[in-house]
Amino acid sequence: MSQSLRPYLQCVRSSVTAALSLSNFASQVAERHNFPEIEAGYSPEALLNPLTVARNDHERVFIEPSINSVRISIKIKQADEIEHILVHKFTRFLTQRAEAFFILRRKPVKGYDISFLITNFHTEEMLKHKLVDFIIQFMEEVDKEISEMKLFLNARARFVAESFLTPFD
Amino acid sequence: MSVTNWRTINIDALDPDSPYNFDLSTLTPSVLPIASSEVQSTANQIRQLLRGGDGEGALRGALDTAPYGADERGKEIHLAAVIEILQSIRQSEMTPILNRIYGSEGGSEALDVLMKYICRGMAQHSSPGSAVSSPQATGFSQMGSRNLGGGEGSGQMSVLLSWHEKVVEVAGLGCIMRVMTDRRTV
Amino acid sequence: MAPPEVHHLFHHPIADHSFSADQNTLAVAKDTTVELYKRGPQGFQLKDELTGHDKTVTGVDIAPNSGKIVTCSQDRNAYVWEPSPTGWKPTLVLLRLNRAATCVRWSPSEMKFAAGSGARTIAICHFEEEDNWWVSKHLKKPIRSTITSVAWHPNSVLLAAASTDGHARVFSSFIKGIDPRPEPSAWGERLPFNTVCGEYMNSTAGWVHDVAFSPSGNALAFVAHDSSLTVVYPSAPEQPPKAIVSVSTQLLPFSGVIWSSESEIIAAGYDCQAYKLQGGESGWQLSGTVATKSRPGAASGHEESALNMFRQMDLKGKTKDDTKLDTVHQNTITKVRVYGPPGQGASKFSTSGVDGRIVIWGI
Repeated sequence: MSQSLRPYLQCVRSSVTAALSLSNFASQVAERHNFPEIEAGYSPEALLNPLTVARNDHERVFIEPSINSVRISIKIKQADEIEHILVHKFTRFLTQRAEAFFILRRKPVKGYDISFLITNFHTEEMLKHKLVDFIIQFMEEVDKEISEMKLFLNARARFVAESFLTPFD
Repeated sequence: MSVTNWRTINIDALDPDSPYNFDLSTLTPSVLPIASSEVQSTANQIRQLLRGGDGEGALRGALDTAPYGADERGKEIHLAAVIEILQSIRQSEMTPILNRIYGSEGGSEALDVLMKYICRGMAQHSSPGSAVSSPQATGFSQMGSRNLGGGEGSGQMSVLLSWHEKVVEVAGLGCIMRVMTDRRTV
Repeated sequence: MAPPEVHHLFHHPIADHSFSADQNTLAVAKDTTVELYKRGPQGFQLKDELTGHDKTVTGVDIAPNSGKIVTCSQDRNAYVWEPSPTGWKPTLVLLRLNRAATCVRWSPSEMKFAAGSGARTIAICHFEEEDNWWVSKHLKKPIRSTITSVAWHPNSVLLAAASTDGHARVFSSFIKGIDPRPEPSAWGERLPFNTVCGEYMNSTAGWVHDVAFSPSGNALAFVAHDSSLTVVYPSAPEQPPKAIVSVSTQLLPFSGVIWSSESEIIAAGYDCQAYKLQGGESGWQLSGTVATKSRPGAASGHEESALNMFRQMDLKGKTKDDTKLDTVHQNTITKVRVYGPPGQGASKFSTSGVDGRIVIWGI
């Protein structure tokens, strides 16, 4: 693990753990409703100050806490156009299957690549520290996945280029 | 009056009594407005301390004089001063300094303020507006873009990240809770 | 110290729980029902179920003397359940609330109860003999957000309320004909209905999760989402308080608080553990956790052998089982309540958690 990745993930871990202090909170606006306050935004006092954890300008996590839900948005490292395309395809693949991931948000927050929405119902039926572990592991894996895909892509491009150019030798 | 799309009007916003119009200013204890010139002069004093080699004194001074009542510009001036101090303190000195601050009178609040500055510092340089340049027009070449993450921004971030880790070690998660709940922003 | 008594009832959050005066009946709020458990030889056995609410039940309280149970729910209603030969008989209470009811507590006199709500109102309910129903009066001003918790003063007139607008308040809920004239105290002398006797906020202004009066009623403690505990000592009516002591902890926030004596407070919450705080007017500090660190039974029955280690590695690909917390509760503690006969100093308390456990602790 590179030098600055560890403090970055550590920082995300502590911030997410703190933000995941959720409770059951029925809506103050609509009677008999109970929805994630962070998405509705109808009760300003039920929202807290958002936190940003950044490793550099291209890798950052945005945590928006509220009384019964937390929205965590991740900007995945994209060093060049290929990575940009790969990240886009990859996150699109995941968000299209959002219902299988429970906490995945169908649409990322603007400026970020992928968003998670964790509500008090998730922390009630799942272990809180495991949810945090999942986010951290996802962040670790996704970087690995993208650079692996990029290597494959380049290897294949090289192979195609070679076989394409062979007859002209 | 032009044609209004009645369906998109948020009627809650028009009712002064609705929860939508909760007055957030009731959540902040009264703070005195501070002019940015005043913040500037405090920041200069702090920098002088720093130049004199008293990093800890400068940090403590900066945390105790956090300008809650200042405008955006004043806050930015103070933020720059705090970040300068944080960058000048060596890694090995962080924990002892934090322990001394935490142990002193009002130390818990000082560390809460420090945490606010760390979070603000990370948010400042990574607002979506400043980071749109990420996909460079370098096509397939990887060489040119490899150093993207190593600019001066990332140097500052890694300092803030290691401070963040050390502050959590000393002041616990409660410190992050207070950064989230406190409506007095820096 | 005896190990805590752990009752794992089900895998569902417990929003609130209450013991009867003899500690043999336990009422827990589980989803949309309230379950009644009787103490048996093998822990608590499910005896009865109170169904009637159609949204999450948020509060339940058993009156120690009369044995009546009051419940409230996010469906905006509250019921008073009375035992009858054919089972529990519910009576609907006219709360007149238009948002979720969030918490409910009997007054020590058992003539009234208070129900907090998301409608920025507290309903003070009492029984009207003539009409044969429970009617309510509303405490409205100056509440600006959802009430998260209420607590009664021993004199049954003063009521403390915690709210998500960052304030803990003390109100008078004096109702003519029901309450005897209260003795003047540090909180106030003349106490007509809806007198605000105190309004407190700490500088960080997190949502207040719970409030509690000290056993004498002369101090008020509240815990907020900024991981703090604040204790207020009033001086005289209409005067600023003698002392406000605020403790900012290093922990995650507390969601429940009780006084075990005038100089000791028990608080528990998102750290899944109960903590003791000690102090007085001059200052309060965290003095440690309640009960032992290791989970009772887990350490002894789980011998660490090489065989076991390799088996774990083979089965799960890792040596340590990290799906269990080393605390008794495995998830957030929702409520802390005094266990034992009311009125005396608390020597035991019970906690309920999101993990479906009820734990009875010795102090």
